Amino acid sequence: MSSAELLRLDGVRKYFGLRGAPWRTGQTVKAVDGVSFVVRKGETVGLVGESGSGKSTLARVATRLLDPTSGRVEIGGKDVTRFRGRRLRPVRRTVQMVFQDPQASLNPRQSVGTILSTPFRAQGTRPTRAQLIELLHKVGLSEEHLERYPHEFSGGQRQRIGIARALAVSPDLLICDEPVSALDVSVQAQVLNLLADLRDELGLSYVVVAHDLAVVRQVASRVAVMYLGTIVEEGPSDQVYAAPAHPYTKALLSAVPVPEPGVTRDRIVLTGDVPTPISPPSGCPFRTRCYKAEDVCATTRPVLEPVNGQTEHRAACYFPEPPPS
Amino acid sequence: MAEPVLEVHDLRVTFDTEGGLVPAVDGIDFSVAAGQTLAIVGESGSGKSVSSAAVMGILPSNAEVKGEVLLDGRELVGLPSDELRKIRGNDIALVFQDALSALNPYYTVGWQVAEAYRLHHDVSKKAAFQRAIELLDKVGIPDAARRAKSYPHEFSGGMRQRVVIAMALVNDPRVLIADEPTTALDVTVQAQIMQLLADVQEEFGTALVLISHDLGVVAEVADDVLVMYAGRAAERGTVRDLFHRAAHPYSLGLLGAMPRIDVPPRPRLTTIPGSPPSPGSIKTGCPFQPRCAYTERVGERCITERPELTPRPGEGDHEAACHLGRRPEAVV
Amino acid sequence: MPDILWFIIRRLLATVLVMLALSLAVYLIFYAIPADPAHLACGKPCTPDRLEQARHFMQLDQSTIQQYLNFLKGIFAGRTFGEGAAAVHCNAPCFGYSFPLARPVTTLILDRLPVTASIAVGAAVLWLIIGVSLGVVAALNRGRPLDRLAVGVALIGVSTPSFLLGLLAILVFGFWLNMVPVNGYVPFSESPVDWAWHLVTPWLVLAVLQAASYIRLTRAQMLEELNLDHITTARAKGAGEARVVVTHGLRGALVPIVTLFGLDLGGLLGGAILTEKVFSMQGLGELLISAVGQLDVAVVVGVTLFSAFLIIVANLVVDIVHGALDPRVSHG
Repeated sequence: MSSAELLRLDGVRKYFGLRGAPWRTGQTVKAVDGVSFVVRKGETVGLVGESGSGKSTLARVATRLLDPTSGRVEIGGKDVTRFRGRRLRPVRRTVQMVFQDPQASLNPRQSVGTILSTPFRAQGTRPTRAQLIELLHKVGLSEEHLERYPHEFSGGQRQRIGIARALAVSPDLLICDEPVSALDVSVQAQVLNLLADLRDELGLSYVVVAHDLAVVRQVASRVAVMYLGTIVEEGPSDQVYAAPAHPYTKALLSAVPVPEPGVTRDRIVLTGDVPTPISPPSGCPFRTRCYKAEDVCATTRPVLEPVNGQTEHRAACYFPEPPPS
Repeated sequence: MAEPVLEVHDLRVTFDTEGGLVPAVDGIDFSVAAGQTLAIVGESGSGKSVSSAAVMGILPSNAEVKGEVLLDGRELVGLPSDELRKIRGNDIALVFQDALSALNPYYTVGWQVAEAYRLHHDVSKKAAFQRAIELLDKVGIPDAARRAKSYPHEFSGGMRQRVVIAMALVNDPRVLIADEPTTALDVTVQAQIMQLLADVQEEFGTALVLISHDLGVVAEVADDVLVMYAGRAAERGTVRDLFHRAAHPYSLGLLGAMPRIDVPPRPRLTTIPGSPPSPGSIKTGCPFQPRCAYTERVGERCITERPELTPRPGEGDHEAACHLGRRPEAVV
Repeated sequence: MPDILWFIIRRLLATVLVMLALSLAVYLIFYAIPADPAHLACGKPCTPDRLEQARHFMQLDQSTIQQYLNFLKGIFAGRTFGEGAAAVHCNAPCFGYSFPLARPVTTLILDRLPVTASIAVGAAVLWLIIGVSLGVVAALNRGRPLDRLAVGVALIGVSTPSFLLGLLAILVFGFWLNMVPVNGYVPFSESPVDWAWHLVTPWLVLAVLQAASYIRLTRAQMLEELNLDHITTARAKGAGEARVVVTHGLRGALVPIVTLFGLDLGGLLGGAILTEKVFSMQGLGELLISAVGQLDVAVVVGVTLFSAFLIIVANLVVDIVHGALDPRVSHG
């Protein structure tokens, strides 16, 4: 069954020019370097990767907050790659973004009521008070919070306000960039549960961008693993977490500590750092840190291919891990 | 049990602020022996970082520290600042969370590690720099002799944290206090750094106080755990006590709230309602009471009477500060 | 290293362009003034014939643009006014010729520069020392009487006009106490002691006034700097307070202080108008003011351009020093 596509990215690249002296050849940071990616209605897709993997940039291109350098962005079945200004309004009604740091993404001089009416006004409408109160109720806040200012809230409550703002225009897809990484553990769980509740109540879909693999495991039905601007593996969460095919995914998962004392894990400790996205390695971006790299890895970049014949689970590796026996 | 290197008794820290006296740490005890790791777990405002700063004697001047801090039996609280200075960075060293801001941007990393050595050893600058290179090499910085001349911003996050660790280890401290040493790092780098700390501990028998909110990291490296909440100890015991026999509703809540990678996802995470209180905002009764699901079963006592750490019968040194005598059930 | 060279070359090229644009602007502004310098030169009574002669001699009868081009040409090739025996030569680099003073502007500026430079450099050294040390003391005693005193002094300094303080100083130290000379300038080459003796009052007056902004800046920077994590690191290493404050704190506060200092000094070298006037010293400021009074446009343009040039150079020097002081700055 193939339900409606909410978001489709085709070969998206996003390069940032480095400000440099004119006599130097212009250096570019290849933040996102050829990503294709689909989100269907009802799905929660996790986008995981370490710092510098390009996951946040990808999220911003997908919401058209950034222009892609090349490639195609389709939202709700429509090519919106070149849309600007007014034409982006309907796009904003479909896709909204929730940011990492609610402290920084809420204007401290605006009351919650004003913050929540901004998206309505951006669409050229005016919300009623009842609409604003309903929004607050959706995220577990109440009418009395409407006149307060961001600093009067705790971190978890601020993130709820951020989510309410995103919900104002009744979007179909929320792209959440590290939605809980700034929160305490006990508060994290509240926000993750809220996202799950909203999915059930409103039929929302999500892209959850996070570096915390356990968070993504908890919320995502499908997961894509990014490394140096490319997706190296994607598939249903159960399969990817249980049987990672890409050596990077395997190493990443093995590095996550497990809250079970006495359990020693077979840890693959990667050496070195992530290479700079200014000059990524030739061929496979992961080959410089890979424990399986061979000559072929340096020549051509591997493409995403089905793992063990499962079309949903794909990895970009010449030597994928064998299925667990 | 080996003789403790660092012992803390009834540590209290009060900040004198414009809004009045704020108790940030309200009477905690812990100890750690050579080669052992004690984890102090808590959320923001729990007082875990203030406790470590108090042990180091590096709190701002508006902080008042009471209680005992014994290093090899020697009392540090109230020591003249000159004496204390000789101990800081020499016998007890600190590893900070954010290595970028912990390092001085204006000096090379080699200079900064060498400075830590020169402050406690009467050696030439050259010899100290040599020692710095040696340590940078030991913590796994490739091409240490050359990299010692680089500035902090020229390193990656993981490499910077290695520099900070080198700086902490340069005087062979007896106790290492690591305050969220891997929180700012990626998980693959975190694994490298935790491995490095474990290696160091094994080689030098350093006692490690690990301050962390990450229960996964704690489970992996700690021998003993102290769970702090609102400046007080909620629970104390071995790492197995906490993870297998959690006795405080808060500890249990933290474990339930944590998404895990090793088990299939639950439909919903267990949550603790509300947020951690700001220090000093709860004056009577159990500080966790407003968020606790067990208050009803215990009744008035939770509101009127402050629970003290009490040993759990038949569980060795395992203690919890909760009026609920029996073990709380996992499902609320 | 080539980076910094390229940077300087690029900035110097930019400087030339800015100076060209500026000189044109200054030229157009001063030549748009309705008053006619030739009138003054022609004397009284001034017949139309003589006025025309004077105009021609001073090359004022040409178009404004032509005059400007003459001015530019003079910089590289020198200029000659008039012909034959009456001709006046202005050798390259000629920045104009003052007919009232009957000397090339270049010579005038070079004659006056030592006076202004003596005042400026001496005062600058003083105010840097006073300002930075009081600022540090204020920051270390934040909120205490010493801090309030320093902030108060700074406030008075910022709001007092220099001529008022200058006149008061002359009155008190010169006339009442009869400690120092009240005016005049003695070249350093004649008698270093007299040179300093004549300058000490203007130095102090300027220094006290300028130090005010340095107290404020240093205080603010130090407060910010001392709150940074790497200061805590320095303490945790076991560094003493003096070392923490100077080596780690002041080092970071240095960049903005040096920036301000460079720009202030650059500005002052172009003429300390009021101070020179009050102490009757024949510096650049005094030259400029009397030129304005006599409609000596050539001098006004020359001194203005020279002051502007000093400020641009000061900017360039500040940027280079900034790069040397802060390893994170790249001159790419």
